[in-house]
Amino acid sequence: MFNTVEELIKSLTETFGPSGEEETVRTMIANLVRDRADRVFEDALGNLYAVKESNRPRIMISAHMDEIGVMVTNIDENGFLRIAPLGGVNPIMLLGQRIRFKNGLTGTVYHEKFKELKELDWSKLYADIGQRDAAAAENNVKIGDSACLAQPFNNLPGGRCLAKAMDDRVGCAVLIETLRRLPERLPQEVCFVFSIQEELGLRGAKTAAYSYEPDFGIAVDVTLVGDTPKAPTMAVSLGQGPAIKVKDSSILCHPRVRQLMVETAENNNISHQLEVLERGGTDAGAIHLSREGVPSGAISIPCRYVHSPSEMIDLKDVLNAVELMVKLLTKEWPFSEESNVF
Amino acid sequence: MNEDKIVNALMELSEMTAVSGGEEAAVTAVARYLRPYVTDIKRDRFGNLLAFKPAENATGKTELTIALVAHADEIGAMVTKIEPEGFLRFTPIGGLDPRTLPGQAVTVHGKNKFPGVIGAAPPHLLTEKERGETTPMEKLFVDIGLDQDQAVDEVKVGDLISLEQHPVVLKNGKMMTGKSLDNRAGISVLIACAAGLSRICHSVDVVFVASLQEEVGLRGAVTAAYGLNPDLAVAIDATHGDAPELEEGRFFKLGEGPVIAIGPNLHPALVDRLEKTADKHFLSVQREPIPGHSGTDAWAFQVAREGIPTALLSIPLRYMHTSVEMINLDDLFNCVKLLGYFIGGLNRTFLEDMKKC
Repeated sequence: MFNTVEELIKSLTETFGPSGEEETVRTMIANLVRDRADRVFEDALGNLYAVKESNRPRIMISAHMDEIGVMVTNIDENGFLRIAPLGGVNPIMLLGQRIRFKNGLTGTVYHEKFKELKELDWSKLYADIGQRDAAAAENNVKIGDSACLAQPFNNLPGGRCLAKAMDDRVGCAVLIETLRRLPERLPQEVCFVFSIQEELGLRGAKTAAYSYEPDFGIAVDVTLVGDTPKAPTMAVSLGQGPAIKVKDSSILCHPRVRQLMVETAENNNISHQLEVLERGGTDAGAIHLSREGVPSGAISIPCRYVHSPSEMIDLKDVLNAVELMVKLLTKEWPFSEESNVF
Repeated sequence: MNEDKIVNALMELSEMTAVSGGEEAAVTAVARYLRPYVTDIKRDRFGNLLAFKPAENATGKTELTIALVAHADEIGAMVTKIEPEGFLRFTPIGGLDPRTLPGQAVTVHGKNKFPGVIGAAPPHLLTEKERGETTPMEKLFVDIGLDQDQAVDEVKVGDLISLEQHPVVLKNGKMMTGKSLDNRAGISVLIACAAGLSRICHSVDVVFVASLQEEVGLRGAVTAAYGLNPDLAVAIDATHGDAPELEEGRFFKLGEGPVIAIGPNLHPALVDRLEKTADKHFLSVQREPIPGHSGTDAWAFQVAREGIPTALLSIPLRYMHTSVEMINLDDLFNCVKLLGYFIGGLNRTFLEDMKKC
């Protein structure tokens, strides 16, 4: 359906899907993976699963479909909207930005008068959808409707790309492309989960892991970088390869899963980095604490300006991540049903 | 297991390294201490150590299962970057306090173990203002004496860093100071309790749990509680000991007994039974009101599956999350006695009375 991974990322990032309203992006992904898996289904909360059936162990690979956004909390008599964050949104990032609702309606976010930037909080922000009064506004949006950012995808000379919602549509793209490249039959079962509500606290992955009962878990998400001017110390850079996670706020990755990833990358000459993320979590955090525990790890796409309207990634990292995933899933994982310890 | 042996075990365990996520060596040592007193010992999928001690009584029947849980892990740090001069930047694992770090000896767990130090700028080179301030964590670094080329060969981003300190029993013979007494003191209580229970009749199955990754958010306890699904649980951990300049009412006296926690995290029937048991056997205990999150494994155990009635016993400990934590060994011994009498007296009726309406 898409000729290149780049087109796939463009399409995924430009699609609507703030936490709690993932339907549009879910339908799109379901259509892309339907013919590539043995079973494709949704659960009651809206997680999307694509299973390639095989013997145990069962590996769950999760990338979240949802993106940060805002929700309408009030519509005033002049048709202005008050908004609240969905996920970790810094109000500064929204000033003058376009937002878009599920029905395609576009608006902009602006601010009431303030003296100093530190006074800027959500109570000072409003969205303007260009309607003359409350009735006109209510014809187009309702309280509780969500909007996402509206920036388009751009590719930059040299192979880097800018878009909203790289976090984590780029992870979804890695899963979809991996699924496309995998052989018919794998040595173990793999379930690709496109999860909901990660941005609100890994909520979809929690129930998906409970339901699928995996033996191992892997999250594919974005991570921060330390390669921008005066960035906080972090040894991850754009273009240096997918980052194999050691730790973030949600998980200390299982050393054997991490080792398997590092060995696979080294044996296949896939460039990679090690990631220690000081703030932030990912679906692996929820998966590894499911039931009696699930040895888990994560592969991250280095991304600049995460949770801004212009998140930047390097396509080389995406292609290397796909390569790493394909190699990782086509080799046989050490596992014994009797032994509890991996 | 006499008191000297318990102290020796605690000395050995205190000095071992078990930064959250890197607990293997310490857990192996704990297993070695528990093995003589239990029938089965295993690790769950998360890595928690589970040691099983079935009921031993005249009827040969078990009345219920109780889990005693103490976390095996300790706070520490992780390498985030190797600087061009070979200095290592790091991020905390658990509640590491930057005030206590400059001048601290550490070990970096790379390809090999590297001794190192957390350095500090000499006071001579600081301004008046800087001298009165705490250096934030991101400005600190570990020096292992290697240049960048050597360091890159030997150390990787993600390697663990542990605090170094030899444990010492102070001159009064009662106080011990060292690193990781939070929560090797609790682990020693488990070991001594397993030994003690081997000498008395008890009608309940006991599972001793050395849990992992407590310091980063009770993670081991979440999966251990789900996997074991015991009828009751008691967490053994540390609480704040008395010291000058602390806010009144937030600490407990060393030497005045283990601390029984009271609050929504703790089941009132268990609290009541622990207090009555202490009373009956003339053991001095203290009471700690905790209005919400206890910050211990008890918090995770209580809400596993359908819910597990849980209690918390704490050893008063001074200077928590430094490398010079201090406890009074009598509190530890009394905690073991209290748990022994408590478990010796448990039966099915206690559990059924809890659920009566």
